[in-house]
Amino acid sequence: MLFDKKIAGKRKFYLDKIRSFFDAAGFLEVETPLMALTVDLNPNLTPFETKLLDPSGKTTPMYLHPSPEFNMKKLMGAGFGNIYTLCKVFRNGEIGGGRHNPEFTMLEWYRQDADYRDMMDDTENLIRFVVGADEVKYQGRTIGLEKPWPRKSVHELFIEHTGIDLLKNKDYSTLAKTAQDRGFKTSACKTWDDIFYLIFLNEIEPKLGLDSPVFVYDYPATQSALALVKKDNPFWCERFELYIAGQELCNAFSELLDAKEQRKRFVEDQEMRKKMGKTVFEIDEELLAGLNLVKHPYGGNALGVDRLLMVIMDAAKIEDVLLFPASKMINP
Amino acid sequence: MSVTDIFRVGMCIVYEGNTYIVVAAQFVNPGKGAAFTRTKIKNLKTGLTKEVTIKSGDTAELADVQHRKCQFLYGDGTMYNFMDNENFEQFALEGESIGDKKRFLLDGTQCHALYIDNIPVSIELPPKMDFKVTTAPPRSKGNTATGDSKEVTIETGATVKVPAFIEEGMMVKVNTDDGSYVSKA
Repeated sequence: MLFDKKIAGKRKFYLDKIRSFFDAAGFLEVETPLMALTVDLNPNLTPFETKLLDPSGKTTPMYLHPSPEFNMKKLMGAGFGNIYTLCKVFRNGEIGGGRHNPEFTMLEWYRQDADYRDMMDDTENLIRFVVGADEVKYQGRTIGLEKPWPRKSVHELFIEHTGIDLLKNKDYSTLAKTAQDRGFKTSACKTWDDIFYLIFLNEIEPKLGLDSPVFVYDYPATQSALALVKKDNPFWCERFELYIAGQELCNAFSELLDAKEQRKRFVEDQEMRKKMGKTVFEIDEELLAGLNLVKHPYGGNALGVDRLLMVIMDAAKIEDVLLFPASKMINP
Repeated sequence: MSVTDIFRVGMCIVYEGNTYIVVAAQFVNPGKGAAFTRTKIKNLKTGLTKEVTIKSGDTAELADVQHRKCQFLYGDGTMYNFMDNENFEQFALEGESIGDKKRFLLDGTQCHALYIDNIPVSIELPPKMDFKVTTAPPRSKGNTATGDSKEVTIETGATVKVPAFIEEGMMVKVNTDDGSYVSKA
């Protein structure tokens, strides 16, 4: 393997910049456990599983966390205020193709008295500060970073790129028909969301963020995860992703702080994991108890640092910004 | 004809009635929703590429592809000439059909040709090959610490990023898939 000292130097430089941005804004850096008793129940995630051994030989199942979200939220409940973490997260099965490494660096931050729009402002300011220029050259394209970055709703993007009004395609069979009319094969799509992504990934995502970063916001509430549903139209939820050069960089929410609703979503996720034959983790009761204690609205964002570094370092593959990419470890 | 639900680089599939080779495959896992594979596929007859994102679980027919040993004879920048090792028949492929692999071809290089309906359409190189370094920037003084990388030219004319200690005349092992340095050969 080629160990490139320049990669190490650049990572150090930009990670320091990320920290100084949040330190200057009065955020507290926190560390949460990388190995936990229970982790995100998202049915599409496959955490690495291990066992904790005590001196008597008793074992307890443990998991490498796919996201620091649960434990960060417990600190919100404990009144920590504005917090951030820069940590490694682990997602099994996510390797190959130049955009994934099963172990990657996540920046996650939570802002008190904020919603997802405030998180868009934070994201814009952070990336502009880290890049330190009004544009970035990526794979032969010039991506302008001058504010404000375009903000487009999912609803708007579907109409702009495909002419599809999702509000008129709210059920599975209608959307399936619409997709088939556009030449898509929907037989492998089990849910409305699968068809949604089949269209989104083929017709919309590759065109996002080519000339400037773009915030894609208000996702269907069926994809809300830990986000607030919109009060004025419960079909959508307050979630956004940032795209640069057709690539998703982060996922942010106006945080759901209703423990009852969160429990309902966890139970649904547990059922789905069971159906898929995946390990079903316990519901994190400490998290739900913590949510009940949060007295302020919060915005939260999780940003894939390696993908941001790909853009800054003009790297086509995630392997080019890592000293020890997993794909090279297993196939030297 | 067999079908596949996994799409890997190098695989030949039948899609909408045409035969394609998968030239890039990238796993996509949207925030909520099942996984997809974003592929770049190249029509083996026309050489045109397109991007298709396929839902996990979806299948495609595997094209009937034969692999035969051949050797590279010479190239003139646009056409690349090979010879079948068994029947000694010669054939030429356009640079486009060989893609990035052409930067690792030397006269006499042994490889595999891919045939569809007895028509040669592309080639496959060994995943790792050894090459002689023909030009390397001299190691600068004070830069005895390893760690810094540099670009060298290998005997085929391709450039490869290598560690600082690699010098002109040395042999290096290169990954022919992505062109990265593996080790000193």
